[in-house]
Amino acid sequence: MSLTRNDPPVAGVADGARTASASLAASDAEAIGREVIAARRRRSKRDRRKFLAVRLVSLAVVFGAWQLYGMHTIAILFAPITTVVHSGYNLFAHAQLGSQLGYSMWTFAIGYLIGVAVGIAVGMLMGAYRVVEAAVSLYVFALYATPMVALVPIMTLWIGFDATAQIVIIALFVTWPMIVTVFHGVRQIDAELMEVSRSLRLNRRQTWVHVLLPGAVPFVITGATQGVAMGLVGVIIAELQTQLTGLGAALQTEAQTYHTAGALAVVLLIMVLGVTLRAILGLVQRFLVPWMRLDRGDGKRR
Amino acid sequence: MTAMRAASDRGAPAERAQAAAAAGPGRGEIRCSGLYKWYGQTAVLSGLDLTVANGEFVCVVGPSGCGKTTLLRMMAGLAEYDHGTITIGGEKVTAPLAQVAVVFQHFGLFPWKTVYNNVALPLRAAGLDKAEVRRRVAEAIALVGLEGVDDRYPAQLSGGMKQRVGLARTLALRPEVILLDEPFAAVDAQTREILQEELLGLWSRHRQTALFITHSIDEAITLADRVVVMGTKPGRVVDDIVVPIPRPRTVGSVRRHESYAPLRERIWEQLRASGSPT
Repeated sequence: MSLTRNDPPVAGVADGARTASASLAASDAEAIGREVIAARRRRSKRDRRKFLAVRLVSLAVVFGAWQLYGMHTIAILFAPITTVVHSGYNLFAHAQLGSQLGYSMWTFAIGYLIGVAVGIAVGMLMGAYRVVEAAVSLYVFALYATPMVALVPIMTLWIGFDATAQIVIIALFVTWPMIVTVFHGVRQIDAELMEVSRSLRLNRRQTWVHVLLPGAVPFVITGATQGVAMGLVGVIIAELQTQLTGLGAALQTEAQTYHTAGALAVVLLIMVLGVTLRAILGLVQRFLVPWMRLDRGDGKRR
Repeated sequence: MTAMRAASDRGAPAERAQAAAAAGPGRGEIRCSGLYKWYGQTAVLSGLDLTVANGEFVCVVGPSGCGKTTLLRMMAGLAEYDHGTITIGGEKVTAPLAQVAVVFQHFGLFPWKTVYNNVALPLRAAGLDKAEVRRRVAEAIALVGLEGVDDRYPAQLSGGMKQRVGLARTLALRPEVILLDEPFAAVDAQTREILQEELLGLWSRHRQTALFITHSIDEAITLADRVVVMGTKPGRVVDDIVVPIPRPRTVGSVRRHESYAPLRERIWEQLRASGSPT
């Protein structure tokens, strides 16, 4: 950039800068834009690969340590991962682990859905109406703070030992944290947005449909995700404390007959179940809450 | 956006008066008399009287805590007043009125709705038929220069674009009265001036009654026919100044006008005397 001698330097610099930016033809600017976007994409791809690698290394280290320790200890106490997987396969192939898993999943599904549905309904009503909160929040928070295990013996007294009792127990595990999460979520919906709704003269039904329900969706999903873990706890406790069925029965049988590898296989299966269900809910969230994963400016990424 | 500039505020004062008369006697007139509001022991507003004529653009400036936002919320039917009356177009305000629309400081957009659906929501809620909703939304979105982004979510927009959506939603409602609560406070200085000029252009099309709350003296002078200065403890009107700068205006033409500096000085003095301006 050359300055004209008579120009004051500052103006010269400004002019130069303007010329420099103006000299970029539209096509050049577009090309640079494409290049920047491509570089950003490469970087994020590299990052994804890096984290995937870290995860794989971590898995290798943990399973390797498990394998080594398992091979050098007493079989009654622990078993190497290969033995555990093999036992798991045997339980599926030669015992009833398949049908036991099916039974547990069935009770879990029903109990979980009831717990989630009750949680959404009570949580939303508590959040939206102070009267409902005043009427029921005391009991909700008291039960939320109570370990649900304490209610299991009482449930068996009231309902008995069958599948119904198990489903009620699972629902109880799921519903309290669900209510509390949804309640806080609805309360958090921006006070300004509620004011906007009034200003736009939405009636009660429209406020629910357009503001309260969609606003609560992220919190419902958070609650439902926590609920997966709570519900799985509920399943195992229900099956161990009422009648021995499903995965609880498999676990109990294996452990009591000193088939440690088999017991560990059942535990591993429960873990996989939990992780899978959470992943599914993650997908549901991406589908139901598209506005939350959109960054400003870079368009739709679906 | 260029379309908006082109529709810059035209119209001689005589035409303006004619248009105001054609709109009927005071459909958009705001009349506050003897307004009182207490928060606990503190009087937020104490016997406030304020009239905004039909088609007039009034800016309210004042220090924090002078009750200017409270005043706007009362006019919007969003806050109660303890004593006195507010009427808009002769109708007493006790709830949000149909002919009044609010532009909010933090935009007030629903994050789960696209630009299009944010603008369309109040129209659908009011029961307009589908074709009419589509027509009005398209028109409003074009007016504020948001064509092509109507399927985006608010999270994908800059602050300036978000407030354009807020304006579009308000315009689509075709209100007689627009209440604006520091609408440009959350955007950067340059965008703010651009939005001010756009607002002038949009307002000049229909000359709705406008009440605009701001902290900025420059903004008030740029936009208003009249600047109302509020004082604090308790909130009251301390000055009421006609801005003699002719329209159409631009940010630049206002700054260059001979009355700009003395006006600015006078408002600044009033604010300094009545409490710390922020």
